[in-house]
Amino acid sequence: MSTVPSPTSSPTDAAPARTAVTRRSTSRLRVTSLQVFCAVLGAALLLRGQLAEALDGSAVRIAATVFVAVCVQALPFLVLGVLLSGLIAAFVSPAALGRLLPRRAALAVPMAGLAGAVLPGCECASVPVARRLIGQGLPDSAALAFLLAAPAINPVVLVATAVAFPGEPGMVLARFSGSLATAVVMGWLWNRFGRAEWIAERVRRRVHPGSGGARWWVFLDTARHDLVAAGGFLVLGGLTSAVLNVAVPSSWLTGLAGHLVLGIVVMALLAVVLALCSEADAFVAASLGALPLLPRLVFLVVGPAVDVKLFALQSGTFGRGFALRFAPTTLLVATVCGTAAGLLALGGAR
Amino acid sequence: MRRDTQNVLLVLLGGALVKIAATDLYLRYVKPGNRWYLLAAGTVILLLAVVSLVRDARLVRSAPATSATPAGHGTVAGLGAPATVGTLAGHHHEHREPHSPWLLILPVLAIFLVAPPALGADSVQRAAPGNSVSTSSDPGFPPLPTGGVPELRLSDFVARAVWDGSSGTGGSSGSGGSGGAGGSGGSGAGGAGGLAGRDVTLTGFVVHRAGAAELARLVITCCAADARPMVVRMTDAPDVPSGTWLRVRARLLPGSATVADGYTPSVRVADAVAIPEPAEAYEY
Repeated sequence: MSTVPSPTSSPTDAAPARTAVTRRSTSRLRVTSLQVFCAVLGAALLLRGQLAEALDGSAVRIAATVFVAVCVQALPFLVLGVLLSGLIAAFVSPAALGRLLPRRAALAVPMAGLAGAVLPGCECASVPVARRLIGQGLPDSAALAFLLAAPAINPVVLVATAVAFPGEPGMVLARFSGSLATAVVMGWLWNRFGRAEWIAERVRRRVHPGSGGARWWVFLDTARHDLVAAGGFLVLGGLTSAVLNVAVPSSWLTGLAGHLVLGIVVMALLAVVLALCSEADAFVAASLGALPLLPRLVFLVVGPAVDVKLFALQSGTFGRGFALRFAPTTLLVATVCGTAAGLLALGGAR
Repeated sequence: MRRDTQNVLLVLLGGALVKIAATDLYLRYVKPGNRWYLLAAGTVILLLAVVSLVRDARLVRSAPATSATPAGHGTVAGLGAPATVGTLAGHHHEHREPHSPWLLILPVLAIFLVAPPALGADSVQRAAPGNSVSTSSDPGFPPLPTGGVPELRLSDFVARAVWDGSSGTGGSSGSGGSGGAGGSGGSGAGGAGGLAGRDVTLTGFVVHRAGAAELARLVITCCAADARPMVVRMTDAPDVPSGTWLRVRARLLPGSATVADGYTPSVRVADAVAIPEPAEAYEY
């Protein structure tokens, strides 16, 4: 490998001399991150005993287990997502992507939403994929519809819902339609009101895959880069969800049985703070037998569309400005769509 | 964060996933079926990181005079990471490099240094009392094996007991025709759950709560974040502290596991043996 593949025309190519100079002048003073890393690692090894002791309180211990569990459960799906993202970057040309969907955005949005059904997996897989779709030139609104639909309407999730609610076939239909409606409405809203600059500029930096063997380096670099970038935010989301998992009192749920509207609101918020994986949330919802079906359906529609883990991932991937606008709107739209789908598909507030 | 640091961190992260999947440790966090996902993901992460490290090292060696050959094809900066946030070692970017990858060190440290234990009695104690079960449809239990003391998962036992209890007392199940135990206090031999008058073997850990001793298990679907407790109240329980794992021979007390007691069956314990915590601490 004597020649270096240079697949991108990165802006830094224009001024390599300047960057090299900067590098020289700073490398003497700067403590490199590798050194910091080794120091942190060493300190952690030395303080291992104290660390275990600090984790001895029951709440902290539970949170630690939940934190590791969320990370360990989600990482394989994130890896799947970044591999797909790498493949898109290296092998799918923007032109081919453009031919996949109707030209009119109003039609492209529902198509992209339905396409979400083919990506089996949790939320974490769809974020890097949606990011790469935008990067390769798919309209924002279509990519966002895909982002919201994929974790909620794929076959794995629907089968899990059917298994969790054996006596209620309406739940599967209601979940499917509620989630798809959320994705499509959000896509259309973005079409109408969204601004391109809300999405961080780095997302749109297009990858030029080159040809032949170079494509594989692009694949590798994209996947590796996306994994590192999104992984940190996944950890942040896992941390948040672990703390909330311990901090939210179980009394939230008792005494909600008679209050339908309050039940819907509380269950929507609970879906946000618990950040369950979309393959598991149906079983948790099924176990809350004291509540009517409608609030539990809202829980299932809101969870895959917006939760603390997704918020962290989205703000890391698309930028904080995007996440701060997108997540609250999604919560509102998902709650309304879930309620409407429940009223229609379940035949009233049951 | 520098690119080489990122790669070292990824090696550790992939190693952590492979480590817990290669041992039984992963069962503390996720269901058994996730083992292969974890192995695959860990391997992919290791590969991405190692290939990247090797390639970067070769590039640096093959292009030592980077700054002297600004137009050279093999410049360090020319190694276009597609979304150029993390480019080659030491390459200092104009825009701020993100610090978020540092967070990846947390799960690595947690796994290698602490390896938090499976959830247990503490989680049950923090949960609301009673069992969350759905009684909406006929679950269609297979009959218990005749003879002996059949081994039942705690969640299966609770589901059968709730079914017996609700159909026996004409309760919330709505399909009073099944089981045919109506009016006989739920102890009719024909109860659909088949628990009446039968000794069964249950495994779980002890939880002392509200003056009663309970035998509990946590049920997970995906990972420990969605764990929900299943409990059985014990009479004549051995005097052991919370968190002790027991294998008990027990019999359902008729008329328990109703709405009034939060669908918590009561059992009389005939025999109990303390056991070490099993590798599969959760039910699925």
